[in-house]
Amino acid sequence: MRYGDFTPFDIILLLQGLGVSLALFVSTTLIGIVIGTAWAVIRFYRVPVLMQLVTFIAELLKNSPVLVQLFLVFFGLPAFLKINVTPTEAAVITLSGNSAAFIYVIAVSAIESVGRDQIEAARVFGLTRWQILRRVIAPQATAFAIGPLTGLLVNQVQVTSLISVIGVMDLTKVGNILNLRTLKPFLVWTAVGLLYYLTAKLVTYAGARFEKRLRAHTAWKGL
Amino acid sequence: MISITGLRKSFGAATVLNGIDLEIRQGEVVSVLGSSGSGKSTLIRCINGLEKIDAGKITVDNFDVSKPRELSEARKRSGTVFQLFNLYPHMTAVQNVALAPIEVLKVPRKQAEAEARELLHSVGLTERADAYPSQLSGGQRQRVGICRALAMKPSYLLLDEVTSALDPEMTSEVLSILAKLAKGGTTMVFVTHEIEFARSISSRIAFLDKGQLIADLPTEDFFSATGMALPRVAQFLSKMRKD
Amino acid sequence: MKFDLSILAKHIPFLLEGAWLTLHACALAVVGSLVLGLVIGAMRTSASPLLNRLAAVYIDIFRNIPFIVQLFFFYFGLPEIGIYIDAFTTGVVALSIAGGAFTSDVIRSGILAIDPGVIEAAQVSGLRKITIFRKIILPIALRASVRPLGSVFINLILTSSILSTITLNELTGSAKIVASNTFRPFEVYFVLLVAYAALTYAVSILIGMLHRYLNRHQEEGAV
Repeated sequence: MRYGDFTPFDIILLLQGLGVSLALFVSTTLIGIVIGTAWAVIRFYRVPVLMQLVTFIAELLKNSPVLVQLFLVFFGLPAFLKINVTPTEAAVITLSGNSAAFIYVIAVSAIESVGRDQIEAARVFGLTRWQILRRVIAPQATAFAIGPLTGLLVNQVQVTSLISVIGVMDLTKVGNILNLRTLKPFLVWTAVGLLYYLTAKLVTYAGARFEKRLRAHTAWKGL
Repeated sequence: MISITGLRKSFGAATVLNGIDLEIRQGEVVSVLGSSGSGKSTLIRCINGLEKIDAGKITVDNFDVSKPRELSEARKRSGTVFQLFNLYPHMTAVQNVALAPIEVLKVPRKQAEAEARELLHSVGLTERADAYPSQLSGGQRQRVGICRALAMKPSYLLLDEVTSALDPEMTSEVLSILAKLAKGGTTMVFVTHEIEFARSISSRIAFLDKGQLIADLPTEDFFSATGMALPRVAQFLSKMRKD
Repeated sequence: MKFDLSILAKHIPFLLEGAWLTLHACALAVVGSLVLGLVIGAMRTSASPLLNRLAAVYIDIFRNIPFIVQLFFFYFGLPEIGIYIDAFTTGVVALSIAGGAFTSDVIRSGILAIDPGVIEAAQVSGLRKITIFRKIILPIALRASVRPLGSVFINLILTSSILSTITLNELTGSAKIVASNTFRPFEVYFVLLVAYAALTYAVSILIGMLHRYLNRHQEEGAV
């Protein structure tokens, strides 16, 4: 075996990278859903100051490159606050924030998709704002949000690839290493691309399945 | 001459036209009547090649519309006016009318637009020539639609329920233009619900029922004893008059 | 540590040079993705099953693989097959190809939204297919697509920051250099983030104006 050739171990390396990408994708998506939804609730309750702040932050995050956000957290924060930020921490913070911004937008329009008249009707029945949010809005808004959310998640899978730039050992970073060692860029990046592609397809498929199940629940079943 | 022989057309399991034979000679105004769903509009859409026919033959001045090479010649000879106008929304009235002459007949733009203005003037749209379709009323839009068809100087004008999307006032402004054209000798195939108007301008009436041509008579015969002798025609006429 | 922007003052000309490169690359990529998007979008709506399928595969691939992976594929791969082009050209090509996939999707839905009756009217008046596409389909579809195309182009600007990973000193690349020279990464990346947000905001305003201008006759009571 010549130095620079592919070894069977490379497959494990690629799968490890994929694992890191997936782990970061799943964890930051969950954090993003929590934060993004919380922001949307702040807007729903029209909390003064906080509401404007949230809108501003979301706009800023949506309209700037993730790579720059990543640099700000990874290089900027340690220098500014004199703290230590590992690549993984920077990745988690940035990706969560970025997901939150986009999920916030989806959540807001999902809440708005539930008609005002329904909310007023619920109020007439004496439900509190919190009850309205939980019992009336949340179930319908979730069904509405699944479609756009799936689209977002497919995108977020791809966004995770940027953390390779600050040295996180994700799938793209593994691709970089293999590329430098084997000097077979077409093969390496095709393999890496294929793994991302399959992941994206899996997310799309899961989203469609989930949406179908949710719709089956809410569909009119007859008397 | 438009010649239709043994025309059959079905959409899936539904047979819409089932063996139609019809000839339309230069100078004739033929109204096609029949209840909704009788296949009237499909007949027009077969003549101008918008629908592929299943069997039979349609020729326009001997050009076979089912042959791609001949279809464009056939289309040059016929102009179509649509129920829903189908104007090009991004072009002014003049541009709508002048487009085909410029692109198909290679008329110089200036000349084509001057002719378009003339046509629009003849239908009372002198002032609206540079308006966009969205700025026109339904009746005005349909008048532009008629000009667009006429701009190609077609031998035959195919009119597909051109007034059914219009309210009565606008209907009469469009019909008066058609009456003028008929008097001027334009050959027309006129699919319509406007029975009285059809009677006043047509030389012949073709009556379709469930995809079959059950009457093809000179207008005066159709509306007299000969037509009334056909039960479906009698039924149709009495129903339409009641409405 | 205090937040001090004055330190950046003398680096502004250098950063502006980077910004100019970003705009240059994006302008070319916008043209490139429009051209590709039109071709692929037309193929995607064509009657030929083969063209249709090819276009669908193109869109599927380039929408589901991270841009950075596509970029590395071209940047490291092309020299491998004897094509030596500089980082700038590679970046523009990669941006155009990826942007083309998104653009074609927009164009496709713009085309599908056209009233079929309008196209039929053009057909029966004897216009040739290519004329119908140029004079009727394209102008109508493009007018309807200004806003969604604008989002695609804004995304293109944000994505162009990734070109910094292939040694191109566009806006993000120049900022990286300034950050390491001044040891002020927080200030640099914060300004960069705001700069991108301002840039995309300006572009979105221009797009809104373009949309209103192109659709000025379609406002009132269109059918």
